[in-house]
Amino acid sequence: MESASPFASGPPRQRPAMVSNPTSVVQTPLIGRSMAPSSSVPLPSPFGSALPGFSRPAATPLASRPPPPGAIPQGPIAGNGPRIPGFTAPRTLPPPSVQPAPPSAASSSIRPPTPYASATQDSGLQSYPGSPPSGASVATLPMPFVGPPASQQFGRPPTSQPLFSGPPRSQPPFAGAQYLQRPMAGSTNSQLPLAGPPTSQSPFLGPPTSQPPFTGPPTSQPPRPNTPQPPFAGLPTPQQFGGPSTQTLTGPPISQFVGPPTSQPYAGRSSSPSQMATPSSQPFSMPPTVGTSFGSPVWPSQPGQMVPSLPGNVQAPPRMFGMPPGMPGQPIPPVLPAMGHSALAGPQVSTQSKIDPNQIPRPLPNSSITIFETRQGNQANVPPSATSIFVVKDNGNCSPRLMRCTLNQIPCTGDLLSTSSMPFALMVQPLALPHPSDDPIPVVDFGESGPVRCSRCKSYINAFMRFIDHGRTFVCNLCGFTNETPRDYLCNLGPDGRRRDADERLELCKGTVEFVATREYMVRDPMPAVFFFLIDVSLNAIQTGATAAACSAISQSLADLPDGPRTMVGIATFDCSIHFYNLRRASQQPLMLIVPDIHDVYTPLHTDVVVPLTECRQSVEQLLESIPSLFENNKVSDSAFGAAIKAGFLALKPTGGKLLVFQSVLPSVGIGSLSSREAEGRTNASAGDKEAHKLLQPADKTLKTMAIEFAEYQVCVDIFITAQTFVDIASISVVPGTTGGQVYYYYPFSALSDPGKLYNDLRWNLSRPQGFEAVMRVRCSQGLQVQEYAGSFCKRIPTDIDLPAIDCEKTIMVTFKHDDKFQENSECAFQCALLYTTVYGERRIRVINLSLPCTSMLTNLFRTADLDTQFACILKQAASSIPVNSLSQVREQITNLCINILHAYRKFCATVSSSGQLILPEALKLLPLYTLALVKSIGLRNDGRFDDRSYWASHVMSLSISLAVPLVYPRMISIHDLTAKENDGSLSSSNIPLSSEHINDDGIYLLENGEDCLIYVGNMVNPDTLQKLFGVTSVDGLPTQLVLQQFDNDLSEKLSDVMNEIRQQRCSYLRLRLCKKGDPSGMHFMSYMIEDKTAGGLSYVEFLVHVHRQIQTKMA
Amino acid sequence: MSEFVDLETQDGVRMTWNTFPGTKQEALSCVIPVAAMYTPLKPIPDTPVLPYSPLRCRICRSILNPFSVVDYVAKIWVCPFCFQRNHFPQHYMSISEENLPAELFPQYTTIEYASSPDTGPKMPSVFLFVVDTCLIEEEIMFLKSALSQAIELLPENSLVGLITFGTYVQVHELGFGHMPKSYVFKGSKEITKEQLLEQMCFFAGRPRPNVGVIAGPRDGLSPESIARFLLPASECEFVLNSVLEELPRDPWPVPADQRASRCTSTALSIAASLLGLCVPGSGARIMAFVGGPSTQGSGSIVSKNLSEPIRSHKDLDKGAAALYNKAVKFYEALSKQLVHQGHVLDLFACALDQVGVAELKVVVERTGGIVVLAESFGHSVFKDSLRRIFQSTDYDLGLAFNGVFEVNCSKDVKVQGIIGPCASLEKKGPLCAETVVGQGNTTAWKMCGLDKKTSLCLIFEIARKDGPESISQHTSNQFYFQFLTYYQHSDGQMRLRVTTLSRRWVTGSADVQDLLAGFDQEAAAAVMARLVSLKMEIEVFNNSPDETAYYRMILNRENVANAVVMIQPSLISYSFHSSPEPVLLDVTAIAADRILLLDSYFSVVVFHGASIAQWRNSGYQNQPEHETFAYLLKAPREEADAIMKERFPVPRLVVCDQHGSQARFLLVKLNPSVTYNSNNPPPPGGDILFTDDVSLEVFLDHLQRLAVQ
Repeated sequence: MESASPFASGPPRQRPAMVSNPTSVVQTPLIGRSMAPSSSVPLPSPFGSALPGFSRPAATPLASRPPPPGAIPQGPIAGNGPRIPGFTAPRTLPPPSVQPAPPSAASSSIRPPTPYASATQDSGLQSYPGSPPSGASVATLPMPFVGPPASQQFGRPPTSQPLFSGPPRSQPPFAGAQYLQRPMAGSTNSQLPLAGPPTSQSPFLGPPTSQPPFTGPPTSQPPRPNTPQPPFAGLPTPQQFGGPSTQTLTGPPISQFVGPPTSQPYAGRSSSPSQMATPSSQPFSMPPTVGTSFGSPVWPSQPGQMVPSLPGNVQAPPRMFGMPPGMPGQPIPPVLPAMGHSALAGPQVSTQSKIDPNQIPRPLPNSSITIFETRQGNQANVPPSATSIFVVKDNGNCSPRLMRCTLNQIPCTGDLLSTSSMPFALMVQPLALPHPSDDPIPVVDFGESGPVRCSRCKSYINAFMRFIDHGRTFVCNLCGFTNETPRDYLCNLGPDGRRRDADERLELCKGTVEFVATREYMVRDPMPAVFFFLIDVSLNAIQTGATAAACSAISQSLADLPDGPRTMVGIATFDCSIHFYNLRRASQQPLMLIVPDIHDVYTPLHTDVVVPLTECRQSVEQLLESIPSLFENNKVSDSAFGAAIKAGFLALKPTGGKLLVFQSVLPSVGIGSLSSREAEGRTNASAGDKEAHKLLQPADKTLKTMAIEFAEYQVCVDIFITAQTFVDIASISVVPGTTGGQVYYYYPFSALSDPGKLYNDLRWNLSRPQGFEAVMRVRCSQGLQVQEYAGSFCKRIPTDIDLPAIDCEKTIMVTFKHDDKFQENSECAFQCALLYTTVYGERRIRVINLSLPCTSMLTNLFRTADLDTQFACILKQAASSIPVNSLSQVREQITNLCINILHAYRKFCATVSSSGQLILPEALKLLPLYTLALVKSIGLRNDGRFDDRSYWASHVMSLSISLAVPLVYPRMISIHDLTAKENDGSLSSSNIPLSSEHINDDGIYLLENGEDCLIYVGNMVNPDTLQKLFGVTSVDGLPTQLVLQQFDNDLSEKLSDVMNEIRQQRCSYLRLRLCKKGDPSGMHFMSYMIEDKTAGGLSYVEFLVHVHRQIQTKMA
Repeated sequence: MSEFVDLETQDGVRMTWNTFPGTKQEALSCVIPVAAMYTPLKPIPDTPVLPYSPLRCRICRSILNPFSVVDYVAKIWVCPFCFQRNHFPQHYMSISEENLPAELFPQYTTIEYASSPDTGPKMPSVFLFVVDTCLIEEEIMFLKSALSQAIELLPENSLVGLITFGTYVQVHELGFGHMPKSYVFKGSKEITKEQLLEQMCFFAGRPRPNVGVIAGPRDGLSPESIARFLLPASECEFVLNSVLEELPRDPWPVPADQRASRCTSTALSIAASLLGLCVPGSGARIMAFVGGPSTQGSGSIVSKNLSEPIRSHKDLDKGAAALYNKAVKFYEALSKQLVHQGHVLDLFACALDQVGVAELKVVVERTGGIVVLAESFGHSVFKDSLRRIFQSTDYDLGLAFNGVFEVNCSKDVKVQGIIGPCASLEKKGPLCAETVVGQGNTTAWKMCGLDKKTSLCLIFEIARKDGPESISQHTSNQFYFQFLTYYQHSDGQMRLRVTTLSRRWVTGSADVQDLLAGFDQEAAAAVMARLVSLKMEIEVFNNSPDETAYYRMILNRENVANAVVMIQPSLISYSFHSSPEPVLLDVTAIAADRILLLDSYFSVVVFHGASIAQWRNSGYQNQPEHETFAYLLKAPREEADAIMKERFPVPRLVVCDQHGSQARFLLVKLNPSVTYNSNNPPPPGGDILFTDDVSLEVFLDHLQRLAVQ
């Protein structure tokens, strides 16, 4: 839409801004969600005392109690399916251990849920779109700029309907759930999180002394063939990582692996609290009740393996978000473990016999909640890990959920940046789901004049614009231009140089605000919410049940579409022609109109192909019900996918909207038809290998050209691929990739196990917070310029990106380059402006600001490096290069990048002299592991199918940071022993390293990466366990297509709790697959064991050795 | 004259000259060409239908007929055309003078052969309705109700299909039970038969034959795939009615300054291709109901912009109708396709303005289609005509399909061509004259559609050169003609009608009287009318091109009697003074106490003189003592009804009074012997015409002068 171009590119065009969805602005009241023990929480949390008791406290009470007035309206109703009688009410509640208290509430231990809780948890799941009711309670709170109360509803992901056979358990909203868990960090820990300058933390620093762990005798390791590779073997006593000696090497407080500031000591992972499950092994385990969150000093146990050595080495330091930069106490971190290994080990290396695989860095799950203030003392704070749980207090910088940078200090010069080798990019997720306790995003209405903007660069007023001359002028923090303050915006300055009203005007004190857009920002009235469903009814789709699944999913999802007369829907089906349906007719029966010309498509009707949902819901439902039988005997196996989406587009062209396509086979006829290139590639294998990556490029430009046209008319395409064979995702994914949509991939589609996911994916797609006809631009301070945007969008002019639709999950990567220098103590500002239309037809401009200090010190860059963000950046870059370069090249590039970064650190920052040590910057200590995982990921493996790889690449391009990490480095837990674990509801604490060493034949394991969920069953599993979980008594009796049912026993219930928790966390239903040892599926499972040595890849230890060797080579 | 009518009753033939000029030269000097008006399916009482195949001459393939010379002993017959001697086959062995097969009976110069049940299956006739939806609500309602009536009347075993069109063409899949379903084609785009085959999924799920023409069940299409679109009337009546009931107007918006976007040509082309795919070579008709000008597609006749008027004769004359030639070219191609397939296009054009009949004429005429032009779908001319097509009464049209007409004649006669609803099959032979008139240069013609009254005008040429030797060569001075008409009877059976004629020729000035005696003035008028309308495409006035085309199409298919009515309407006077009597078609025929009945073919006018009207208005006819008046009033109406019943298209009935506005329908046809500026005043109660046209008298004077000079 032309409308958009808010951003003035050269000439002072009016730059509209983007607005936010009212709904998306989640205004959660600041109710104290008890995230930490009362002591540390500044909020009035009544329950400080009650903590321990609460491990799952809320459940029953909530249910049993009448809801507080206005709150929780619909808790129990949540699921949209029938409830299963067997479920008791309590179970429907999320397991949040914490019960938020209403602000006023006294501290009785049982408290009515706070409004937010109610909204999010109970009702949450389903209520999102239309149901303001749950939010109603919120509205009562005095919130200044609160948008529509409905806002809260967002959060819910589609999980609700779970697999556990039908009964819709109401699940806790994602967001909520996550936080809920182990809310109260063990009382033992000092929780520093909040606020306080970390000084208090110092304790942690201390611990470094506890390095011992490494030294631990490796004996504990089960003899694994690969770990003790020959190289090591040679050394009689290779030193395990960082033995004491290393520590000395690294400057001051080197916590070996345990970086103090970072939350996760590598050790943690292995010892993760979850291990509590294995009682025997752990000496140190904390009392289960304490959610082991970081406070727990102990990280002992390895699951199942006792590692004697783990000295409590690490006190997992609480995260120090608050820590001001440059704190004295904070040395550049961490350094790490050197691995001595024979080859490298210089003479001086104290050698130890081997590297203990248990001691090498791994992510330490952390489930405790921290509070993150975005700025403090007029300085930006370093945000917590994107994968951790935190609550944001917006003090001028935006929430890191919305936008975060790979570097938390900006290099003053481009040279400094290139020296560091680190990527420099912003990840922008403009509509990201907030934590329920996050500061809400205020909506600011400037009336007819619209928001104040810099008259030169058109950036929006923000907290960092400096008012001078008694407030009569202000200096733009982005371009430096001095603007005159509009008369009605004048205000005197206080003694501190700030405007006296700075604290009242939210745009002057908050990092993120939404401005109400004026007419100037619209070229037409904001568009209605229009959804057009396009369903494949070709022979294959019908026979595999994909059509029926799609129809059923759509039918059920209608309830989740935004309410109101402005919501429109349309339906078409296609095989070798396109079938429209006139849904508004005198008789109830729809009329099928076939467009047979698939080389030159059109819509058969002027109106009535897209109809208001409220008027035609019944006929839409009837139609959906009858489609599978209408085409029951369809013998057409061809698919005119390209023509169908073109036709759907034409139907949406007048309004724009979302086109949701259900496709089952390779598009074989009509516009944009494709050939089975994969097979052709295989037959020409000899030539094929070198050119293999070409199969990851679109076959031709047809679809791209179409997609650009779609984007121009604000049509977003999402494609649900329910295929059994190659469908050329490389070509198809161009369409969603250009229109702000996404690809969902169900391969091979199973009518038994996939409909649940299909439905949930669709439901979440439709109901998640989102906006339409959006335009986005990122501006930055002079000295930098935007180099490139990457993600799912269409770019027609260099400065802006067009997003026919944008939702809470879509993330856009923005890379920068220097075109000038910064002064040492200056700040570099970034401003993202998103002009969009909410699902309710409001036009908003969401403005997201981030101002970061500049530094000329390389050490600062490393110290404040953001691993997760950098990794997401590397991941996306890898995804975008696999169609262009051969896989081996891409793998090499990634490995080299890792090596270069570590080398830069080693060379310029580490003081260690020993060349025999591999030194890792604390902030990036997991970089090698992630790099290795990435190299072995589906997208970069040689053995993957082309479609899998293409899907992976397209998925990654708009993936958020918090999902990027698990995608590559999945989470694995054991489930045969769930009941044995502490009943603290924490699943994240029990992660098992991704190594086959940790897989036992008598165990059942669950591995999930945010997309797929594999359940691995060993061949010696206790039949009783099998019976409890799957209802079968032998491994052989397990079905290949798994549908988890909930059985009436603790273990099964626990598993479903776990599943639900994961789903909420990932905002994804997860595709369930059963893997059996000795079966191809078992091999598939094992391919996720990225720490293992594989035919084409190094083991983790070997990889570290490799990296180390390369660095040494470079050093030499 | 009556002997000519008798001849017509026997064989359905009228000839301009029933005694032929003997030589080419003489024929030329006769001015009026030797021609025959032949009505192939004219119902002839007592004509036998022979359930066996005809005997043919070995050489010229003509069929055994009463003019054949038979040698009963030798069991040999001599072909009158080529004089070839043919042996009778075995099953004629019992032939004798006393035991003749029907085809040799002298009175059976016209006879029919029906293929026996085992030689050919009965073919259901196919009706494909093609319905315009760019109509105002009211017209749509009229059309729907007319169609649903027609559907009720469809023969049970006939196959029915439905296509609707407007901006797009919708082919309705009546065989899809679950919901109304249709294929939608873009109106602005031509689509070939091949594309249609592809796009309508005729080969869904089955491999498509690689070679050969694909058409019909015999050539690879499954009956099921055909049955999607063409269903027995008995099976689809419900679906068809429900589709029609909900048939919306074309939903695409039409700006106020534009015409609706109507793609008549695309719809017809798709209809033709669909029939070509499904029922090639079997009787089928496309019945097109068109309510306005085509503005889209190759056959469009005017642009959408309302500021551009629809072409007039003047535009055509000046070459200013840009779209006309393109459209005609398109329809010529379409007519070829339909003729090839053996299918008919019927056109029902109901609109106040032109719809493009002029352009469509070529298709309708070549395929022998029916054409009806009316002002509205609510008008009785349309409604009654449509009903007549399907109604089986004594007056039913006797629609036949898929005919082939062949001519055989004696050596010295050649055929120049046929003017009438048929298309040349391009079967050349020695019979073809060098001069071509109408559909010529062939001895066989396709008549995709024909009915009881379809009349062909054959133009002959006498090829015999002057010269005594030629005269003496044959003692016989007989010419023979044989007309063969193969057709699919409305009951589905294939039939062959054979008419064999003989005419005498004379030569030399001595025989002028003979020639004159054989001259059929009415036939000559009809023939000349056809000839003139064929040659004179431009000098037309007072009509739109559509009307002209319409009148000519009707003229070209009507028999002599009706053609004469068209040329010279009949006027009958009813009065107390005498029994009904024909009166001169003159303004002087009008009198206050007369009722006049005018039959001008397209309209039938009952005209009440002023007094009669007054009396009638006073209700005298209701009074018992004025029974005669009531009778007088009724008589012309009954006569009018009789005319209307038998005529197709049903004429417009105008009942009017002297000095009333509708009286113009009569006045326009009258000879203006008394006008506003003539000297002789009209008789009391008479009328005068306001015209500057000359009267017949003046015209004849002028003609005489020219003839003499």
